Amino acid sequence: MCVFSLSLFSPPPHISGVKLGMSSEPLATACTVYHRFFQSCSPHVFEPYLVAMAAIYLAGKVEEQHLRTRDIINVCHRYLNPGSDPLELDSRFWDLRDSIVQCELLVLRVLNFQVSFQHPHKYLLHYLLSLKALMNRHAWDRTPIAVTTWALLRDSYHGSLCHPPQHVAVAILYLALEALGVEVPVEGEKEWWQVLSDDITKPAIDDIIFELIQIYNMDAKCT
Amino acid sequence: MDRDLLRQSVSYHGHPLFSLLKCEQQENPDFQCIAGDLSRTVQYRKERRVENVAVQQFIARKADLLFSPSWQSSTPSVKEETEDMYAVMPPLEQFMEVPGSDRRNLFFRDIERGDVVIGRINSIREFGFFVTVICLSGGLGRDIEDLEITALCPLRDVPTHGNHDDPLSYYQNGDLIQAGVKDVDRYHEKLTLSLQPSSLPPSLSHLKLGVIGVDDMPAHYSRSVAVANSTTETYEKVLEHTLGFANPSTVEFLLGKLGISEIDPASLMRGLQTKNFLKEDYATSIRKKQSASWALKCVKIGVDHFKSGRHVEAMNEYNKGLEIDTNNVEALVARGALYATKGSLNKAIDDFELALESCPTHRNARKYLCQTLVERGGQVEEEEKLVTAEGLYRKALALDETFEEAEEALQKLQKHIQKSLKLKEEEAAKEEKDMNKSVETSAEKLRKLLKEEKRKKKKRKRSSSSSSSSDSTLSSIRKKSKKRKKRSISSHSHRKRSHRSSSNEDKTFDSKEEWYPPPANTSASFLTQKQDMAKLLEGNVRSIEQKSQVKGKRHNRSMSSSSVEILNDDGGDRSEDSIDSFHRFQAGSSKGKSQCSIDGDSRHHISKSRHRVSSGKEGEVNHYSKRQDQESGIHQGLYGSAEKSIHRKNSSSSAGSEYSRKCDKYGYERRNSYSQDHSCSKNVDGGDKREEYKIEEDVSKVKPKGEENVQSRGRSQNGKESAAEETADKNLPSNLLNIFSQIAQFEKEKCSKQKK
Repeated sequence: MCVFSLSLFSPPPHISGVKLGMSSEPLATACTVYHRFFQSCSPHVFEPYLVAMAAIYLAGKVEEQHLRTRDIINVCHRYLNPGSDPLELDSRFWDLRDSIVQCELLVLRVLNFQVSFQHPHKYLLHYLLSLKALMNRHAWDRTPIAVTTWALLRDSYHGSLCHPPQHVAVAILYLALEALGVEVPVEGEKEWWQVLSDDITKPAIDDIIFELIQIYNMDAKCT
Repeated sequence: MDRDLLRQSVSYHGHPLFSLLKCEQQENPDFQCIAGDLSRTVQYRKERRVENVAVQQFIARKADLLFSPSWQSSTPSVKEETEDMYAVMPPLEQFMEVPGSDRRNLFFRDIERGDVVIGRINSIREFGFFVTVICLSGGLGRDIEDLEITALCPLRDVPTHGNHDDPLSYYQNGDLIQAGVKDVDRYHEKLTLSLQPSSLPPSLSHLKLGVIGVDDMPAHYSRSVAVANSTTETYEKVLEHTLGFANPSTVEFLLGKLGISEIDPASLMRGLQTKNFLKEDYATSIRKKQSASWALKCVKIGVDHFKSGRHVEAMNEYNKGLEIDTNNVEALVARGALYATKGSLNKAIDDFELALESCPTHRNARKYLCQTLVERGGQVEEEEKLVTAEGLYRKALALDETFEEAEEALQKLQKHIQKSLKLKEEEAAKEEKDMNKSVETSAEKLRKLLKEEKRKKKKRKRSSSSSSSSDSTLSSIRKKSKKRKKRSISSHSHRKRSHRSSSNEDKTFDSKEEWYPPPANTSASFLTQKQDMAKLLEGNVRSIEQKSQVKGKRHNRSMSSSSVEILNDDGGDRSEDSIDSFHRFQAGSSKGKSQCSIDGDSRHHISKSRHRVSSGKEGEVNHYSKRQDQESGIHQGLYGSAEKSIHRKNSSSSAGSEYSRKCDKYGYERRNSYSQDHSCSKNVDGGDKREEYKIEEDVSKVKPKGEENVQSRGRSQNGKESAAEETADKNLPSNLLNIFSQIAQFEKEKCSKQKK
């Protein structure tokens, strides 16, 4: 179990990411970067919000969804000072911008420039398709399986799950089906979740699910 | 909370969930309504293998989010499905190794009308054909090949193929058929297919029904076949080896396919419920506000510049502001005002209109726009584009009905329009008259000229002693010239000239007769002389035109133009034209100034060097060479007559001088014939009379370059000195007069000495 709890700090990358219009994968990268950075460094030494902004900026570049520093600064500033006026184009603004860029370099060095990650998103989507083919279309349409899985996946980045992406994807799918009370209509020699990933085991799934729920609990405690 | 969803979950988990739900969601009003229903469903829950309490708790806590109605997937967008957008996987059933019976049941439970199946024909009957269904198409995937499901496609659902009488004969056993499912009998597990396109829903209408090839089989089928044949392929392996999986845009594509939205993403986190996010907190809206405020700063600075008169800086600031925030209302209005002040009214109008689009209530923009429109209208009105002006005024009025200036301007304009219309009518009437007049005038002129020439002819006949010869020459030349006139490109003026020239013919012809006929050689030298001749001619023409009267001007102009035409003619015309030109000189500038005389001289010399002039002017050597041949026969006669006319001219006052001047000019043109130049230039004087003998000498000296007349030889030496001077200044028409006068005087003295 390697859930690193940052629950003391609300997930800055997440909220900002949504307001910046980031899609799921770049957001996932940003969160991963953020979490991994604070696995090595202490949040007391480095300002988490600055690291979050740097992580977003970096992730945007890695995942080809370029974000402009001006937007990042605006959103974070607004988040920290709700209802404030937009920043003026003064020296303070440029200082902020410079600090983001500096921090980005620091983050890169801490992570040894390994900022490319395999995320469960692709796997999850393909699993969804395969499952959809298996199910009665009406049942599928009735139950928001896809949306639920996606929500679960995005939320999972509040913590850092260090499991292989396929496993995470399967686990999330499993949880979604459980939560919605959906049964996979067929049963064969192998379970559907067995089929989707070669080396997955039921305990692994259970573990991941447990972690996921923990994340939610943490979040629930903070809010 | 969606009742059905909740019910589904509760029935799945059973009572423990229900109780949990009760504690967690007590406050939730939705739940309270449904609670009654749920208690009943709990009775029928299934056996679960594992009871995961944590999960149930999770569900209970998140129930209001999980089962919210707004979480339904949006209708998936039907996009172009290219093979490699994502990994198309074989059916999961296959991997799961689901038993056949289950698959069969599942198939018949899920198959519906409008689905597309692919099968192989196994038998054809008179009422249709039977198909063994192999797989599904159109996005569905099931592993059914080995199930031996047969379907019938009745005859009426087989489309007719024109040529065949029996549509069924088109098909054969073993053909792969893609067909739409028309009817499903689940109980009896029977399918009815149709090949009619109408059996397909619109989303699948692109699929081709009927016979297909093996390549047209869907990807998932081919992959499933591959998997079936291998023992080591697993789902994951197949997935990761498929090219489509590596496509970077696969996530985006599949999200669309599955109907998941990224814009308003769902979350089970309380803090991340996007409906709670304020619109103003989003990046784009903050940016907009920020840009607007930054731009305003620039605009303020710009306005300061504007007020202090620094327009350039002001414009820079405005443009800066507009770069930061395009369509910023204040910046546009300020810039528009600047444009209007500078006078670029169109640009100003554009800016104001743009500003009003974004903010229709901006008072300043409206006011300025009205003013600018009216001003522009005034400008346009002056340019006589009255309709545009009217449009502008009306526009201004439409914007602001109380704008008085616009009203006034509009009324003025309407009056103006009426006036202008009247004017136009009058003008049109005038023009018609003018047209008629102008036609008349040219005809009239021609008649006048003819009359004059007739008169002069008579005069000449009386006065001339050698009229017979000249007449003969005249007549001969006239005939020839007439012929040539027809051939040549002649304007009215040219004809006039030719007519006129007939009156002067005798003079020029006489003079010409004394001349030595020019040999047909050394065209190169002539060429250079031509150019000089042309230059001088042009210079002279210009000066003449300045001095002469209108008519004279016209003549001269026509002369210069006609000199070109003259050259087109043969010798006969030349002489005529030279005479004509000479006559014109008399008519136009009787002052006999050197310039005129030069021109006259040059023109007279045209008779000999006309070709040169023309070629100089036209740049056509060919003309010259042609004319040479043609003219050689006429030369003698012409020159003879020219010489005679020269004599006669000498008897007359200015005529002679002019003629001599012409000779001078002619001589001047020639580089090599110094003597001739000299003698000719001698006579370049304003209004000086020349003695016959001088002229004779001059005339005799007038020869084509490289030739020496017996007569002129003697004098050639005389003229050398002055000729030298002349040659040096040949290329400077402005100095021509001075030189001519000098030489003329010098020669005069010499000739007088000689004579003595």
